[in-house]
Amino acid sequence: MATLVLLGGGACMKSKITFTLDGQTIEVPAGSTLLEACRQAGSEVPTLCHDDRLHPYGGCRMCLVEMEGAPRLVPACKTQVQADMQVRSQSEKLERVRTTIAQMLLSEHTPGNGVQEDQLQSYAKKNKVEAPLRFASSAAWEDRNRFLGFDPQACILCDRCVRYCDEVMQCSALEHVGQGSQARIQPTNGQSFLDTSCELCGGCISTCPTGALYEKQAVDADGKVKARVEQTEKTRTVCTFCGVGCVLDVHTHQRQVVKISAEAGVGSNDGHLCNKGRFAWQFIHHPDRLQQPLLRNADGHLQAASWEQAYARIREGFTRIQNQYGSDSIGFLASSRCTNEDVYTLQKLARAVIGTNNVHSCAAT
Amino acid sequence: MTNSIAEIEDADCMLVVGSNTTEAHPVLALRMKKALRRGAALIVVDPRRTWLAERATIHLQLRPGTDIPLMNAFAYVILQEGLADFAYVENLTENFEAFAAAAQEWSPERAAELCGVDAEQIRRAARLYAQTEKAGIYYTLGVTEHVCGVDNVRSLSNLALLTGHLGRSSVGVNPLRGQNNVQGCNDVGNNPVFLPGYQLVEDEATRAKFGQAWDCTVPAAPGLRLDQMMDGMHDGRIKAFYVMGEDPVVSEPHAKQIESGFEKVEFVVCQDIFLNETSRRYADVVLPSTCFAEKDGTFTNSERRVQRVRKALDPPGQARSDLRILFEVAQALGVDWGEPDAEKVWNEFADLSPKFFGIRYPRLEERGLQWPCPDSSHPGTPFLHEGAPLRGKGLFYPVDHVPAWEEPCADYPFLLTTGRTLYHYNAATQTARSDGHLDKQARCFVEISPDDAREMALDSGSTLRVESRRGAIEVEVKVTDAVHPGVLWMPMHFAEARANVLTGDGKDPEIGTPEYKVTAVRLVR
Repeated sequence: MATLVLLGGGACMKSKITFTLDGQTIEVPAGSTLLEACRQAGSEVPTLCHDDRLHPYGGCRMCLVEMEGAPRLVPACKTQVQADMQVRSQSEKLERVRTTIAQMLLSEHTPGNGVQEDQLQSYAKKNKVEAPLRFASSAAWEDRNRFLGFDPQACILCDRCVRYCDEVMQCSALEHVGQGSQARIQPTNGQSFLDTSCELCGGCISTCPTGALYEKQAVDADGKVKARVEQTEKTRTVCTFCGVGCVLDVHTHQRQVVKISAEAGVGSNDGHLCNKGRFAWQFIHHPDRLQQPLLRNADGHLQAASWEQAYARIREGFTRIQNQYGSDSIGFLASSRCTNEDVYTLQKLARAVIGTNNVHSCAAT
Repeated sequence: MTNSIAEIEDADCMLVVGSNTTEAHPVLALRMKKALRRGAALIVVDPRRTWLAERATIHLQLRPGTDIPLMNAFAYVILQEGLADFAYVENLTENFEAFAAAAQEWSPERAAELCGVDAEQIRRAARLYAQTEKAGIYYTLGVTEHVCGVDNVRSLSNLALLTGHLGRSSVGVNPLRGQNNVQGCNDVGNNPVFLPGYQLVEDEATRAKFGQAWDCTVPAAPGLRLDQMMDGMHDGRIKAFYVMGEDPVVSEPHAKQIESGFEKVEFVVCQDIFLNETSRRYADVVLPSTCFAEKDGTFTNSERRVQRVRKALDPPGQARSDLRILFEVAQALGVDWGEPDAEKVWNEFADLSPKFFGIRYPRLEERGLQWPCPDSSHPGTPFLHEGAPLRGKGLFYPVDHVPAWEEPCADYPFLLTTGRTLYHYNAATQTARSDGHLDKQARCFVEISPDDAREMALDSGSTLRVESRRGAIEVEVKVTDAVHPGVLWMPMHFAEARANVLTGDGKDPEIGTPEYKVTAVRLVR
């Protein structure tokens, strides 16, 4: 299914082609890339600059494979499968090349703060790759926005964030400037994110492979990470804002939300979120949250009460109104932000318990 | 939506009407952006120059409230130039003649004058929509929140029928739902005339079925709509309210009238996560409930996809889940429904609702399911009306221009229209509690054209009083050529400058949707 989505609805997917991968004959849909073919065949080819939601880039070179007849190694992410190709995706030579590339990246990379997964570190750990030497990297970076954090030392300049902002959001709020050791990612013209065309969607965070970009809300005021990503409990649920229904993961730690993320390839949102879905969760733990029932007292003030007292008042109030004016004098309003089950039960309460069809909401618009 | 969200990126022509999609539905808009990158044509019908409008092949910047003449003029061009899908019209629709006669009244020239757009642009847009095979319509509240909201929607469905643009992938008529569960709220029967699953209250057999399941007699008389309940507070029909998660004092039009209505109501129960204007001032009982992250259940999104909501946190303090509260209220009123359990409640709904019968929690784990889904092996329905309209033959409605409830005049010369922004949501009870969002947008503002601003010597950032016949608010001025002279635009999010103090009593006569989109106002410096 992932390939179908990638290639835009499958219009060109009808024909299949065969080629040879690591000595096996493989059949893939025409138009597949070598990376997709490797995944289909279960061959693990590492990638860093690749995101299925972006155009293939071929920047990091981690996915190089051997192709017979080609003068040099080719990037699997950017090369389309042709019929009768002979390709090797795993070999000693490729292992050496991948290790060298990882070493080069590691020599200019410091692990991020752990709010996000770091795929380069994971690769290094798994394959026992270490940086042979280290270069001093760019200075720290501060921005007054409260959502997007950036640690330039963890950045490997793969440009996924820049490309996401250009291709997906079409905001172009990030840029890759400078060359060689001076190269860096920054918000357009080095301004604050709040002063650029950035819409604070956090898509750059979602696509960053190393956690150089991270959710600032997961770090407390004195810079301490509330919980590393592997420490959080992830609950998959659905966004509570507009009607698009983005599937998202709420990360919690010690009964507090740490951050919200979304996984590429999942849901109609395909891992994308907007600034509200990703960042507007402060309200969940806001001190204004109602924590106990309130009853209006004789002076007209709302006063804390027990649930029993609240239910007794409701029984008394509705019984009196029903007796005096009839069931149809009571109206029920439900928010279209509640769940189906909540709303179903409210209308059932109106119809089956009170005995009125006066049930509605602003869903009427 | 007749179609699925993922299909949008494959559309070759998008007709976007009354929808600032990149701000109100930002993630769905990514599919539109993708289609644009692919080279799809885009027609935007909107009184504001939105992000999409700036990139549109054609932007018809119409005067608010003139959608029907514009859509009729589209039909006029399509008929005149022989661009209709006559086979579709012949075989799969009815009432074409009456519709065609109504459309003939609106030549592009006549519509252009009323709508404030160029006649040639109407022609180009109509051709583009009609002649592109994969063309879809997308609309939101800019279409529905008018006195003629229902007819506005009909004018769009007429176009789809006329061109046969229905019942295929990426091709259909797509209202983009404004709230996470607007679709589901309607689906499960939160409606005075429908029982759950769109089954009519007035049907005796339906009532008997639900009565048996619920062990009660379902009342036969259809209930009052939201707007009728609001009026009912004044005429004595409504004496008590149970309000779950709404703030009518802020969200309903003509706020002063709503407030004086609540003064008369004798008993009000509010169930919510925060105190709001309604509960603070009028509730007798306030019940602390749970937000989305604290409960189990389902939401149904705009593309009719039922998806699982899962509990990540316990509610704060003594707050309880909405479902538990409702079960306990029923118990307090003498009815025992047993233990509250979201899945059991869903199953009860699905058992009673044929279109939803095949949707069960275990099937929702991976991707959710799009209704109709009548049985347990049905894969769900990505797009509707395949092969033929669901009702057999698509019904054309002849529609004609309906003037706004309140047109600008000498005393109130500006036309104010309202909407959402990217950084806030509805009454902003949640986004206004997010400091990072307030960094981007902390205050209400009104958009005014450079011409009008010059005439009144206004600068961006100055404060202005906006007055309608019903009330006045103070807001910051934002001078922008996104709106035409004579038209103002304001977000509806801010409690300290409630746009609904200004809005009026106009509403669609068939369904009662308020006319939030047209209010006559004047500006006082």
